[in-house]
Order: sequence, then C-alpha cells, then structure tokens
Amino acid sequence: MTQHGKTDSSSSISARQVTKTVTTGEGKLQILQPISFEVMAGESIAIVGASGSGKSTLLGLLAGLDETSSGEIWLEGSPLHNLDEEARARLRGEKVGFIFQSFMLVQSLTALENVMLPAQIAGLSDPKGRAEQILDQVGLSHRAHHYPNQLSGGEQQRVAIARAFIGQPKILFADEPTGNLDAANSGKVEQLLFDLNKQNGTTLVLVTHDDELAARCQRQLRMHAGELSEVALKEAS
Amino acid sequence: MVVDLAWRLFRHEAKRGELTVILFAIVLSVSAVLSLSLFSERLQSALVERSAAFIAADSQLWSRNGFDESWINYAQEQGLNTAKRASTRSMAFGQEDMALVDLRAVSDAYPLKGTVKVADEPFGQLYDTESLPQPGFAWIDARLFQLLDLTLGGTIDIGDKTLVVERVLGEIPDAGFSVFNTDPIVLMAIEDLPEANITGPGSRVNYVTYFTGSEDQLEAYYEWLRPQMDDEIHWWRSLEGDESRIGRSVARAEQYFLLASLLAIVLAAVSIAVAAQRYSQRHFDPVAIMKTLGATKQMIQRVYVLQILFIMLLGITLGLAVGFAIQQLVVIALADTVDVSLSVWHWRPVVIATFTGALCALMFSLYPLMQLFSVPPLRVLRRDISSTLTARWLQFLLAGGAIFFLMWSYSGDLLISAILFASGIVLIAGLIGVTFGLIALGRKLGQGSMGAWQLAWARIRRRAMDNSVQLISFSITIMLLLVVLVMRNDMIEEWRGQLPEGTPNYFMANIADDDKAALLSHFETNGVTVDELFPIVRGRFIEVNGERVNTEVTKEDDDTPREGRDGLGREANLSWSNQLQKENVVVEGEWHDKWQPSTSEGTVYYPVSLESEVAGRLDLKLGDKLTFNIGSEMVYTEVTSIREVNWQTMQPNFFFVLHPAAMDAFKPTYLTSFHLDAERKPVLTSLLQPFPTITLFDVDARINQLRSIVDQVSLAVEFILILVLAAGSLVLIAQVQASMDERQQELAILRTLGAKGSLIRQSVVFEFIIIGVVAGLMAAIANELSLYLLQTQVFQMSPGLHLDYWGVAAVAGAVVVGTLGAISCWRLLSLNTTTLLRRMV
Repeated sequence: MTQHGKTDSSSSISARQVTKTVTTGEGKLQILQPISFEVMAGESIAIVGASGSGKSTLLGLLAGLDETSSGEIWLEGSPLHNLDEEARARLRGEKVGFIFQSFMLVQSLTALENVMLPAQIAGLSDPKGRAEQILDQVGLSHRAHHYPNQLSGGEQQRVAIARAFIGQPKILFADEPTGNLDAANSGKVEQLLFDLNKQNGTTLVLVTHDDELAARCQRQLRMHAGELSEVALKEAS
Repeated sequence: MVVDLAWRLFRHEAKRGELTVILFAIVLSVSAVLSLSLFSERLQSALVERSAAFIAADSQLWSRNGFDESWINYAQEQGLNTAKRASTRSMAFGQEDMALVDLRAVSDAYPLKGTVKVADEPFGQLYDTESLPQPGFAWIDARLFQLLDLTLGGTIDIGDKTLVVERVLGEIPDAGFSVFNTDPIVLMAIEDLPEANITGPGSRVNYVTYFTGSEDQLEAYYEWLRPQMDDEIHWWRSLEGDESRIGRSVARAEQYFLLASLLAIVLAAVSIAVAAQRYSQRHFDPVAIMKTLGATKQMIQRVYVLQILFIMLLGITLGLAVGFAIQQLVVIALADTVDVSLSVWHWRPVVIATFTGALCALMFSLYPLMQLFSVPPLRVLRRDISSTLTARWLQFLLAGGAIFFLMWSYSGDLLISAILFASGIVLIAGLIGVTFGLIALGRKLGQGSMGAWQLAWARIRRRAMDNSVQLISFSITIMLLLVVLVMRNDMIEEWRGQLPEGTPNYFMANIADDDKAALLSHFETNGVTVDELFPIVRGRFIEVNGERVNTEVTKEDDDTPREGRDGLGREANLSWSNQLQKENVVVEGEWHDKWQPSTSEGTVYYPVSLESEVAGRLDLKLGDKLTFNIGSEMVYTEVTSIREVNWQTMQPNFFFVLHPAAMDAFKPTYLTSFHLDAERKPVLTSLLQPFPTITLFDVDARINQLRSIVDQVSLAVEFILILVLAAGSLVLIAQVQASMDERQQELAILRTLGAKGSLIRQSVVFEFIIIGVVAGLMAAIANELSLYLLQTQVFQMSPGLHLDYWGVAAVAGAVVVGTLGAISCWRLLSLNTTTLLRRMV
C-alpha cells in the first residue's frame, strides 16, 4: 500500500494512527482512538455513527480544519499534519470542497456571489461565468441574485453544492448534507450530489447518520465512541 | 479580487442595514466632534473678540520709558495694526478745584478693539462714538464734572496745557473693572502730551502700545520682540494672560467646551467600539466559511480592513456633512442672541473631526477585527467555537490607550485627560465588582418559578461578562452626561451668582461722618436700601520696615530712576474693621479681631490685613512693619494677615484693612453702594441733591455688560450640553440595539416554546431597568469623583456633593435604558418567529 512517508498514488486520503485529545475541565479526554484508513481517488465513503461518536471531529481533521493530536493525514499527497493553518487553507482552496448540514452560506452575499467565492479565493479566471454555469446545473439560475434567507432550505443546499463544485475539487467533504431538509428536498439534493460527484470524479467523504444516504456510498465506516470500524464493502457502482 | 470581495461584502452589508450601526456611530462621532468644535471655535472667537475689547486690542506692550518707534514700525511692517496710549495719574485743575485724574493720552487709532462711549450730560445716556478728542480738547468722566464743578465747554488744565472739555466720557474699553481705587478718567490727544510737560524724568507714565493682527502674526512679533524686552521696563499683555473677570470667564468657558468635546469623543468611541464588536461577531461565520474555502488569514485581513476603510471614509464624509449642517442650523437659530460670525471658516475642527473619526474607527475596531481574524475554520462544524483570541485586557488596553491618546492629543491638557481617565478606570473596576456582586445576589433571587423578574435575573446572571461590559458602557455614558450637566449647572450658577438681581449698581464715596445719618434716612424715605457703610481714610503708604518706599511725591526731589521699593503709586484707601468681609479668606496669618495692644517698645504696631495680590506686588509679607501717613499723623502697623479677595463680587474691597484701634483718631468718610432699577434712574439727582460732596460711581453699564457676556456664554454652554446629551442618547440606543442582537436567539427560542409576548417583553424591560438603575447609581458615584477633581484641579471652583443627581441618575438610567430596551424588544417581537429563527442561522 504505502512506503514510509509516502502514499499510494491512487490514494486520495490516507489517515494513519490519527488521534484527537481535548482538554476539558476534568482533564484530558481522548475523543478519537488511533484511526487508520485509506480512501482511493474517486471513491465515495460514508462515515456513520450516533451523535457524539466523533464523526464530525474526524471530518474536521481529514479536511484540515482542525489539527491532530498525533498521527498523520495525507490529502492528495500532501502531509496535512505537517502543514500550518495557512498552508492547509491553501490546500483546501485548491483541492477540497465542502457541504454542511447548516449550508454555511455567507448571509450577506447573493446565491451567485456565494458560489463565486471559492473561485475568487483560489484566483480562478472568470469566477462569475463559472458560477452562473454551475448554478444553472443545479437548477437555480433564476435565483442567482437572491440572498440565502430568501431561499428555501433545499435551494440553499443546492447553492452550497454548486459552491462546493465550482473549483472542481479532488475531494468533497459533506457533513450531514440532508440533515436539515425534508424528504423531497433530501432526495433532490442527494441526487445532485452524487451526479456531480460522478461527473467530476471527485472523492466523496460523507458524514451522516442517515443509513439510506450512507448506503449510496461505496464504503461505510462506522464511528463508535471514537473508534472506527469498516461496515461492509459494496460493489463499485 | 480582494478589493472586489471587500466591496461586495461592504455593499451588501450596507444595503441590508448591517452596517447602519457602525456607520451611524462614525457619523455621530464625526458630526458631534465637528459641530461641537466648530461651534465652540466660532463662539470662542466671538468671545475672544468681545473680550479683546476689554483690553482694546489683541495684545498690549507696556513700557515705563516711552515708545520705541522702531518696534512700532516693525510691527506695522509685519502687518499688525497699532495704536498708542500714554497714561499717568496727574492733577487736573478746574476753575477753583483740583482732582487727581487717570489721564489717558491716545493716538487716533485708539481703540483697536471695542468702542468709546460718551454722553451728552454727566450720568446721562451713553452712546458709541467713532471719534476721539482732537488736540486741544478733553473728554472727561462724569465724576470730574462734580469734583471740579465743570460744564461742557469749560476748560481744565493738565500740567501746562489747557484743554476744552468737549464731551462726557462714559466708557473706554480698557478702563478696567475695578470700580474702587480709581480716579476719574480724562481722555486727550497724545499730540498734546509734550506741551503738558508732565512726562518728565521721575514721572510715572505708562506707555502702552496696542496691537491687533492674526494669532500667528502676533506670536511671531512677540517672538521677535521678546529678546529685546527689558523685564524691568516692559511687559506684554494679551488676552490669555488676562486675569480680569472676563478673562477668567472666557478661560473657564473654553475649558468647558474642551471638556464637553472630550466627552463627546469618548461617547463616540464607546459607540464605535460597541458597533465594531457587533459587526465582528456577525462575521464569525463568513470568516470561518472563507477560511474553510481556502482563504488565507492575510486575505481575510485585507477583506475586512478594506471594509473598515470603506465604512470609515463613508462615515467621515457623511459625518462632516451632518456636523456642518447641524452647526449651521444652530448658528442660524442663535444668530440673534449670540454674536457669532458666520463667515469665518476654521479648518482645525474639520481636521480634528476627521482624525477622530479615523482614529476611533481604526483603534476601536482593531480588537474586534483581531478576534474576527482568529476565528478558526472549524467553526463551520462546531458552532460553539468562536474567536480564539480572548485577551480582554488587550481590548481594554487598546481602547483605553486610544481614548487617552485622543483626549490628550485633542486637549493638550494632561490634567483634564488624566482626571477623566482615572475616574473611568475607577468606575470600571467598581462596576465589575458590582456586577459580580449582583450576579451572586441574583442567583438567590432568580431561583423558583419562571416569572418575568426571574427570567430577567437569569439572563443577567448567565451573561455575567457581557452584562458587565454593557453596564460599564451604560455607566460611562450616564457619568459623562452627568459631568457635563452638573458642570454646566454649577458654572452658570456661579457666574450668575456673582451678579444676582439687585446687585448694587451705584457706589457712593466721600460720605461725610456728619452726613451719614441724614443720608440713611433720606434714602429710606425714597425707598432705596443702602448697603453696609465702609469707613475710609486716605493715607499715604510711606515705609516698610523703616525703608522708604517710592511715592509719587518723589519726582521733585529725585532725578534718578526709581530705586528701592515700589510704593502704591497713589494714596491708599484705608479701611478698618474687626470683622472679616464676606468673600474674603485669610490665607496667611490670623485675622486681627482678637488682637490686644502691647506697648513694650513704645511704638504700637496695629494689625493690618493685606490683600494677597497687593502683598505680592509690593513684596510684603507677614510681620512687615508698614508706616502710613494720614494727614499729619503717622500710623505704624504690622502685617498680621493676608487675605484673598474675590474681586468678582460687586462689593467694595480694600487692599488694607486695619484694626479699628489704629484709626480712632481719624475722621473717616464712608463708602457704600445701593441698587437702583433702570426705570428709577431719574430719581438719582434728587436722591443726591442734599449731599453735594458725595461722589457717585455708576457701574450699571459695566454690570449689564458683564451680564450679557455671562448670558451668552451660558447659552453656548447650554447648546453644547444639548449636543452632548444627544450624542449620549444615541450611544445608549446603539448599545441597546447591539445587545438586542444577542438576545434575539433567546427571544426566538422563548417565543417558539410558547412564552407570552408580554412575559418576554416584561423580562427584557426589567432586565434593562435593573441595568439602568445600577448604571445610574455607579455613574453618580463616579460623577462625584470626576467632578471633585475637575472642579478643584481644573476649573478652580468650590467642589460640592451633588446628592440630588444620585436619584436622578438612577431613575433616568432606569427610564431611559428601560424604554430603549422596550422599544428594541418591541421591534424584535413584532417579527414572526420564523423570521427570528431564520435570522439565527
């Protein structure tokens, strides 16, 4: 699989003996036991588990939003664990997209501007053209100039998906992407997510406790009390 | 890209009203500072202009030995206007009588500021005149007509020169405000002076050159002149150094304007800090999102610093426009009452306001921005994570440093700045203590069922730190308002108190002992109340500790320039009393009411009490033995006390007050005063008819002049008070609104859970009432401290407790803060729950 300090060329994410310890009022608390796993390029995996099992913590670490207490994380060949905050931000800007349960749109920017944001940050050419195109793809070009609070939850999440894909990321992290949506909207958003994922050949890491959604991924990893176990292998679709 | 993003964010925030508060705060600070300083600058120039009239120029150069024409020429070359006056005390001779007069020979440019007033008959109606006595003519004081039994068209002799009495001299601008110990003024042309032959060696002539010009010109001229001046012979007098009643009023008013402006700045700073904090907190999410999407810290810094710059520029521009408009409106509104020039444009206030706006916007948003920059991207997953920067001390340091720097750089007065700043620190420390004390108390009270009070307490308890910050800003605002309000009241009261209704406007001197009883009954039958009668004996002050002092009579037998001690330069009015006059304070030694004569050395030295300024001028101290020559008798005295005299009161005061025993042998005349209403002025002649020897001093015009100045300054002070009050109220509104943001979520949840609107409303109002009462009380305490320091250290006023303001502050705090809270709460509760919940996202 790997040589020391290097990842397999087909590996998109590699976690090795990753732990996370936090200091609380009652002393140190290890919220992630040593975790190791690989995610291949273009693969889709679901991390499932109950609330408080450590799913989101793991997602934060994998995406470089948080720092590990020990262990190594490689993202598209870059050692996240050796990078400082700035370098991690740049790496995210180049290679990572995000979708969140609470959409996380900038309230003071329109749908179009929210979608443009990653392209602008990454310094891509013609951010507006790109954003209009992808908004059209998610079926929201008629809502381009609306502000987030003028959109329904489903629409907001579709804007978030458009935003996640505008930079054509190698990896997409999705944290409970349908957690705030009703069934109808959930279905629509899920479909969009997987379609775009397939279209772009993106690696997808999805955190959810929705078994149906998890089942649409190629692999499922289960978190329980800070420990990770592989649930089942699914045939590649 | 960064500029584009910053501009987009700024535009949208502005459009959505999110920037209103911070923009409003900057506009408020800039406009308040601008209108205050613009107005006070204009008012100051108006006041200075008026006051300049009291020295008839902007500056004066006094000399003891003649005019230096080269200095005057140089001044004219530099663009200054000049005028000349030679003055001395001299004898004026009428047909039969003679009198000592205050002789003023002036050049035709006199006076450079102010006007000369004349009347058509002695004690008649005064009116302004542009002209001056031409060579050969004299204008003389109404009193002199009495003294010398003169009529218009008659002649007087001054030295060798005979002058025709042309007009009754009513007022000249620089006559001085001392009504007593003055001789009647004779105004003549300076060209006649050589012929009078009274300015020979040994004469005591003061040569005064008057100057007007711009401040810079005058300063530059003084710089040039200073090294050439001989301190023994020359001295420079300008308005700033003016110790007169008016000089002091102007100085005090200036300090007050300064204080009010300082407080306006502090208020503005507080509102900007509040607004910036709010702005920062609202942007925690966008920053976390941008960081997650790959924005580096540097990029985020640029985006937000640029936004602050946009807001700052817009705020300053709008603030300048608004401030200017307010100021114009006020000037127009006050144009009838206050003589304020509209045409003068001052750059200084504009620069100050811009600088203040910029500094406030940057310094007070610095910490909130630093907090914003430190928000970790992980916040997108964990909403409870906010800023990682929690160094509150840094915030206090930055904000405190900025406030102090602003105060100091603006006022240039370290003392005022330090006093206000120290009071602020004490207030903050006290408030933190009180807040936590209250929270502990509330913990007990807040238990039990969930009524509105309990809910209010629970909220206060839960947000201990936020509440203490809020409480502190409320208290500071209320305290600053109190300081400005109380200072204004005390100051105006003190000014008005100096000239209450019924202040004596006429003084009578030379009342013979034999006439005393008759005079009193005559006045009583005419319904005029005569004040206390002070006995006076004229005496010549001739020796100090056996050493002769210079007196006017030395000129015949002494050709050399003055040597030895200076004398008084004229006869002194000696009075005596066992009782210390009111408004007199013994500052050294002891008052002589308990003195017993001791005759151990043969000569009895009677106690004499000296007025402190004259003691300083003549270099006299406790224990000095002074000899007076009264008639043919010598009176030996010893200085046993030195008094400070409040010359601001319109009552007779004396340089020398002796023990009554010293004066047993002399027959005094009396000095007294009375008040006569303007409409009763015609009875004056009949009042005085039976007593032809009495000399009358009419100070009515002077009193009216003083009153009008006091009224104008008071009006200005009131205007500034209103502005500061407005600024303060707006700050309170900003604070309440900012705190409403924090309450929004809680209100939404309570609402969702089915809490009645009235319960929520009441609990919020109660919470604000509690905060308002505490803030008001704390402000009252801090107010006492600052006032004590300000009044004793800066304004030279007598300090006092202001207990009535304690209740006022607490009640006002509760009412104002409670009302503002209720209004904001109303606004929030009028939104439906869905909107509230959506806003939380």
